[in-house]
Amino acid sequence: MIEFTFALAIGALFGIGVFQLLRRDLIKAAIGFAILFSAINLFFVAAGAFEGDFAPYVSNVEAQRQTSDPLVQALILTAIVVSFGSFSLVLGFVNIISRRYDTIDSNEINKLKH
Amino acid sequence: MANNPLLVGALVTPLIGAVVALIFAKSNRLQRSLAVLTGLVAWVFSIALLAQVHDSGIQTYALGNWSPPYGILLVADSLGALFAFMVTTIMIGGLLYTFHSHDKCMTYPAFVPLFLLMEVGLVGAMFTGDLFTLFVFMELMVLASVSLTAISDDQYGLEAALKYILISSMGTLFLLLGIAAMYATFGTLNMAQIAQILLTGDRPFLAPASALMLLCAFLLKSAVFPFHFWQPDFHTTAPTPISAMLSSIVVKVGVYGILRLVTLLFVEDAPVLEPWLSVLGIIGIIFGSLGALRTYNAKRMLAYSTFAQIGFILVGIGWGGTLALIGAIVYAFNHAFIKSSLLMLIGIVASYTKIKTANFADISGIGRRLPSAVGWLVLLGGLSLAGVPPFNGFISKLALIQGGVESGDWGNLIMMVGAGILTLMYMIRAWQRIFQQNPLPGAAETKSEGDSYFAPMLMIFVCLLLGTILAEPLIQLVSATVEQIQDPNLYIEAVYPRGLGQ
Repeated sequence: MIEFTFALAIGALFGIGVFQLLRRDLIKAAIGFAILFSAINLFFVAAGAFEGDFAPYVSNVEAQRQTSDPLVQALILTAIVVSFGSFSLVLGFVNIISRRYDTIDSNEINKLKH
Repeated sequence: MANNPLLVGALVTPLIGAVVALIFAKSNRLQRSLAVLTGLVAWVFSIALLAQVHDSGIQTYALGNWSPPYGILLVADSLGALFAFMVTTIMIGGLLYTFHSHDKCMTYPAFVPLFLLMEVGLVGAMFTGDLFTLFVFMELMVLASVSLTAISDDQYGLEAALKYILISSMGTLFLLLGIAAMYATFGTLNMAQIAQILLTGDRPFLAPASALMLLCAFLLKSAVFPFHFWQPDFHTTAPTPISAMLSSIVVKVGVYGILRLVTLLFVEDAPVLEPWLSVLGIIGIIFGSLGALRTYNAKRMLAYSTFAQIGFILVGIGWGGTLALIGAIVYAFNHAFIKSSLLMLIGIVASYTKIKTANFADISGIGRRLPSAVGWLVLLGGLSLAGVPPFNGFISKLALIQGGVESGDWGNLIMMVGAGILTLMYMIRAWQRIFQQNPLPGAAETKSEGDSYFAPMLMIFVCLLLGTILAEPLIQLVSATVEQIQDPNLYIEAVYPRGLGQ
């Protein structure tokens, strides 16, 4: 059941994220980007977190209990750091662009088009 | 399994250099000297590693002594070592260029550290043995190059940077999604282990999907046809040494990834993927060459040209035979050297105008104010890029055509050679406009001095030496590389011996 809920949540987040990323408003696009990364992090969780009922401590492993997969959680931590870095960089760019172009409408930021 | 410290040396030296350069943020000169020194040390490491891989096979380093599949593993097989050698060599050229440049962005304290971080990302992506670390290093490279473009002297650099980071992050997302799908299917991220499972003939449900997602991410990184639209803007507006690096070695990370996909991870699915790579490559060659022919800006012309040249490499990978792969790798190697030096030379030409533009309307006829050596070097580089004998471009094209003859795909071969002639047209025309014409009325004001042409001159000589006089050893080296990557068992045995840890 929980896996089905997860699948639904991942799908919904993906849809919302892609929709936001394609918006003309750059701040909304940046937030869509953050939503997409959360969708992928959830996908990572779903890939290994539901295998066991116990936290992956050494004591639990030694007691031969079915532990959940610790690696996905480590991967997500790294992915969160990376996505946070890119997200803040995007927001920084949008900030400077809004001052330089006096707009955050991506249709009007088209000086490169010849 | 023995740990080879050279791997960590080549990877960590630029990282240390970046950190130390931040400490000396006050003195630009010191920062730059430090950067060149770091680049040289990393180069020595990579060349020693290349020699060792060539002599005694695949080298590995398990970080923190965690044996695979648990820890992070650095692997240098001959493909990775060759590409890392290419990266570190060209990086030295880029770092040398910053020495005599007058661009304002190069005086910012973050410039040199970011440049070195880009090198860390590039070398790391070549050496990593598992997919997730590949993602991390690629993202490091992207963030560094985007930041460098955003601070460019070109006023539109920021716009191009925003455009690229949104597109590239989308690509990175798909890479991550592919990696997650891999993990869900195989329970490991170690490339050797995945390859081993796939070689036994198991076709899990998610494997083709993740192969496609990884392929799309790599195609986006190397700006191949459906994902190319960001590339001319991004490569044109970057500061000169950065655009030289972007257009020569950063796009090669995608090529490296594709080579890994079709020769190591998805060998069984390769016959399905390869014809598509050929088609995308041909489209890239034709549209890139046409774009380069009709564009208004010399730097942009070279960016379009990169789009076309990556097409040549992809066609080679798409043919997939031994000779075709040799051709593709030699082509990638030579293209990196020629394109980086040409972009630096055009950057020098642009630096002689007051507003640092490379629009043909402004730089036509400016060549008479420049040292005459620049004109000759541009001509030399242009002829070499177009594949005129006896330059190195000719040798790489010949190797590629041999691969095409071997595969017997005459339609693509004829289209490739025909479109290749366009390269000669646009390079010669650009050279004539810059160095032979009289200045046009209404052109931008010029300056009496610009950047030094020492770095690109060095690069051109190195590439002529490597590609022309030393062509025989280079081809032998690449042949040994192809021989090694065509047998995925060698990689698997070296990285993840059967039975270990199971």
